[in-house]
Amino acid sequence: MTEEKTFYQEYEVFSKRTPSSAFQHQFSLLAPNEDMAFILAQENFMRREPVADIWIVNRKNIRKMDVEEKMTLGRLDNKDYRTTKGYGYLKKKWRQYEQQILDEKEILSWGGERK
Amino acid sequence: MTNLQNAAEEEQLAHFMQRIERGDKIEADDWMPEEYRLTLIRLISMHGISEIMGALPEKEWVPKAPSLNRKLGIMAKVQDEMGHGQLLLRVTEDLLVPYGKNRGDIMQDLFNGDLKFHNVFHMETKTWADAGIIGWLVDGAAIITQTNMLGASYGPYARALQRICAEEVFHAQHGESIIMALAEGTDEQKAMIQESLNRWWEALLMFFGPASKETTGSSKQDLTIKYKIRTKTNEEFRQLFFDKYIPRILSLGLTIPDPTIRFDEESKLWSYKQPDWNEFKKIIKNGGPRSHARLNLRRSSYENNAWVRDALSVKVT
Amino acid sequence: MNENETVMSQEYKEAITSLLFQLADDDFLYAYRGSEWLGLAPHIEEDVASSSISQDSMGHAAMFYKLLEDLGVGNADDLAHSRPALDRKNSVLMERVNGEGYYMETPLYDWAYQVVRSYFYTQAKKIKIDSLCESSYSPLADTAVKVRMELYYHRLHWETWFKQLLSSTDVAKKKMDEAIKKVMDDFGDVFSYGNEKLLIEKSRLISSEESLRDKWNASIEPVFAALQMEVPKISDKPTKNGRNGEHTQDLVEALHTLSEVYKFDPIATW
Repeated sequence: MTEEKTFYQEYEVFSKRTPSSAFQHQFSLLAPNEDMAFILAQENFMRREPVADIWIVNRKNIRKMDVEEKMTLGRLDNKDYRTTKGYGYLKKKWRQYEQQILDEKEILSWGGERK
Repeated sequence: MTNLQNAAEEEQLAHFMQRIERGDKIEADDWMPEEYRLTLIRLISMHGISEIMGALPEKEWVPKAPSLNRKLGIMAKVQDEMGHGQLLLRVTEDLLVPYGKNRGDIMQDLFNGDLKFHNVFHMETKTWADAGIIGWLVDGAAIITQTNMLGASYGPYARALQRICAEEVFHAQHGESIIMALAEGTDEQKAMIQESLNRWWEALLMFFGPASKETTGSSKQDLTIKYKIRTKTNEEFRQLFFDKYIPRILSLGLTIPDPTIRFDEESKLWSYKQPDWNEFKKIIKNGGPRSHARLNLRRSSYENNAWVRDALSVKVT
Repeated sequence: MNENETVMSQEYKEAITSLLFQLADDDFLYAYRGSEWLGLAPHIEEDVASSSISQDSMGHAAMFYKLLEDLGVGNADDLAHSRPALDRKNSVLMERVNGEGYYMETPLYDWAYQVVRSYFYTQAKKIKIDSLCESSYSPLADTAVKVRMELYYHRLHWETWFKQLLSSTDVAKKKMDEAIKKVMDDFGDVFSYGNEKLLIEKSRLISSEESLRDKWNASIEPVFAALQMEVPKISDKPTKNGRNGEHTQDLVEALHTLSEVYKFDPIATW
């Protein structure tokens, strides 16, 4: 097999909108190498919105799932014990003790100032 | 092919059609029937290359735009067209993988006439008003067909269209702003838009394609509807375009260059003078007024820059 | 408010006006030449990316013309579109065509020239803008701070192209060498203030020509060293000095095109 030279390598572009947000996949572009892909990414996909950071990944470095592997993603809907849904009865219980349940909203608020 | 293989393929096909029916999104690596793949390639490569070719007529007005702001606006607009071409060609290129074809092959298909581009981009531009009419009405027509495919069964196309349609809103307003300034300007400026509208009207009607394949001998609309890539027919698009734009055109004091056009209250349809569909066939076969010049420009710039791509090409393992 | 705005001497105003015309006309013509490339770059993704640089540069030109408008010199659009070549203060380098052929027909533009001109100019602009951030004329200093923000990307973009093409095939290297020569032939007036040199330097609007030239050399030297090349010498006797209104036919033709619609009716709103 003869190895042909190509200008067209595929790069996937990810970016963050703000310093605190998570990376999001944007789109893919063609470039001859990583440095080129890097200088093309922002203006191709994020001309109008704010950008705090950019990642580019050569597609050949992405391990993708094939159809059969996607079968491994199947899961029964019987796992309430993993979520608060399985402990919903506690709300009523705590009421008997004249206390409120420490739900997600309450617990996640503890990071703020003490009220 | 053995019976066993046949049966397996039929099962795959049935499974695929079930996915289409229940509104699943098909992804690039998923199994798909060849007919679906080819329908997508035909549609999206033409859409993509039309953006790339469509940059050329408007680009003619970029250096000439009559103020600093207009120069900036039209540069951004034509840049977006190239950007839309980029998104759509990427979608096409991923579909072409099984055929071992890449962007270079798409360009060659364009140059040798196998890949066609939209009729409107074969037309000549003559005045600054054309820059306005293209943004306002050609992009308006494109918005009508593109928004209809936002829910397309092919996920990558739907996602590209999401990005594209968001920018088309800016394009339409960019065009409206040029037209509004002319409509509220001097008598010469007003005459400039009317003259431009007269020249573009037929091309705008043609943009949506013939109502049925009986008109021109071929139409891809049936397949695209079967596979839930789009939902409306060519004629439904054209009627929607009339609904949205005729009142706006008239409100600016312009005249539709078709004295027969009227809205039928009973059928709720516009009746209008058909464009010359033979001319349409000729245009899309690269026999339009500027087909050769634009292809020549695209080809010469592509070949003239070949050394750049060659210089940075590498062996990839 | 700056003390100069309240009691601005005629001499000081002349110096600012002259410098602003040089800055505005440079970016205006540079962006115009960039806009001719639109749709014709060697790669679609590059076409999109470099158009942003042309737009940014046109935006910078608009800011400089606006500063002139604020000084009462004239309306920004008018200054950009209707001044004849003789009144233009841009460097000759910015007005040069991109290559053979009119953009409406079959232009054969030279990407090597685009890369070299853009890289050398962007580097020069960065040096000037850094100095202008300390300008005695505060509206100009404020504008320079804004412009500087966009130059990081412009410089990275063109530097990447410059380095990569010079490290590639023999064909590319030859084209790049030719382009470097061509660009340097016109580089003599880039750091010149023309006949206004004394006035501009005395007014502390920007550093001296010599100091900027040295900084340009120093900033570009590491890139050349990495490529095992010598930094080309900037001529201090340009054959034509654009700052004094000396221009080529290329500019006359560019002005004709860029003002075609505007001149159809300069009083109308477009």
